[in-house]
Amino acid sequence: MDLSERGLTAGKLVDMKWKLGVAVCSDECKSLNSPFVAMTLKVADASGKISTHTFELTIPQFQNFSEQMKDMAARMEMI
Amino acid sequence: MLLMFEDQHKEHLSFLTQVSPDVVKEFCRISMEFIRKGTNPKIFQGAAQKLNVDVDTVHHGVEGLMYLLTESSKLMLNEIDFQDSIMTLGFDEDTRQTLLEIYLQNRREIRTILSEMTMDLPHYHNLEWRFDVQLASRSLRRQTTPTVLFKLHTEDSGVKDTTILQTDPVNLLHLTKVLDEALQEMKSPYCRRIVRNIK
Repeated sequence: MDLSERGLTAGKLVDMKWKLGVAVCSDECKSLNSPFVAMTLKVADASGKISTHTFELTIPQFQNFSEQMKDMAARMEMI
Repeated sequence: MLLMFEDQHKEHLSFLTQVSPDVVKEFCRISMEFIRKGTNPKIFQGAAQKLNVDVDTVHHGVEGLMYLLTESSKLMLNEIDFQDSIMTLGFDEDTRQTLLEIYLQNRREIRTILSEMTMDLPHYHNLEWRFDVQLASRSLRRQTTPTVLFKLHTEDSGVKDTTILQTDPVNLLHLTKVLDEALQEMKSPYCRRIVRNIK
C-alpha cells in the first residue's frame, strides 16, 4: 500500500459527475431562462465512508471554477 | 369521571382553602401565566411576602392549581364532574365558584397548549419548485430532458429542515393524480359520515 494513503488525508475523490441545464421557470419567477452547471462529488474519508455533495454553479461561477482547475493543472505540469 | 388527588396534592392545595377568593383568583391568574409561558420563581417571592407565608407554600399552591387546571382540561371534565372533584378539597362555596369559572374560561386555551406538546412528525411547511431542461451531462451530450426540482421545507417540533427532490414531468403528473385521488376520498360517503360524527 502506498505510504501516502496511510497518512493524514482530507478524503479522496471517488467520483465526479456533472450536468448542464437551463432553469426555465419556478414558483417565484415565471420566465427564468438561466443556465447552470450541477456537479456531484463523491468523497471517501479516511475510514472509507462515502459522502455525496451536490451543488450548482451559475455560468460565471463555473467559468471561474474551470479557470482555477486549468491553473492547477498547469502548475502540476511544472512539478 | 372524577379527578383523584393524591395526599400531597391535597396538602398543597389546602393552603388555598385558608385565603380569600380574591387571592385565589390572583393565584389562578398566575397559574395561567405559568401554563402559557413557563414558571417564574420571582413571582413566588412577592406573593409570599404579601401574604406572610413561606415561599414554598406559595410555590406548592400555584403548582397544585396548575395541576388541577391542566388535568381537568386534559380530561375535558364537564361542570358537574369538576365541581364534584374539588368538593373533597375543602374549599368554600365562593372559591369553588371562582375555580369553576376560571376552569371554564381557560380550558380551551389549555387544551391548545397541551395539544402542541404531543408527538410530532416532520410536517409540511413550504414547497418551492423549479422547472429545468437538462442539455448535457458528462455521459451524454446534446440532450433535452425536462426535470422538475423541489425544495420541500418541513417543520418538526419547531426545527425546520429542507429536502431537495427531483422528478420528471410524467412522475409529477402521477404524483398530482394520486394526491388528487386522496383528496377525493374525503368526499366519499364513508369519510363524510366520520367527519359528521366528529363535529
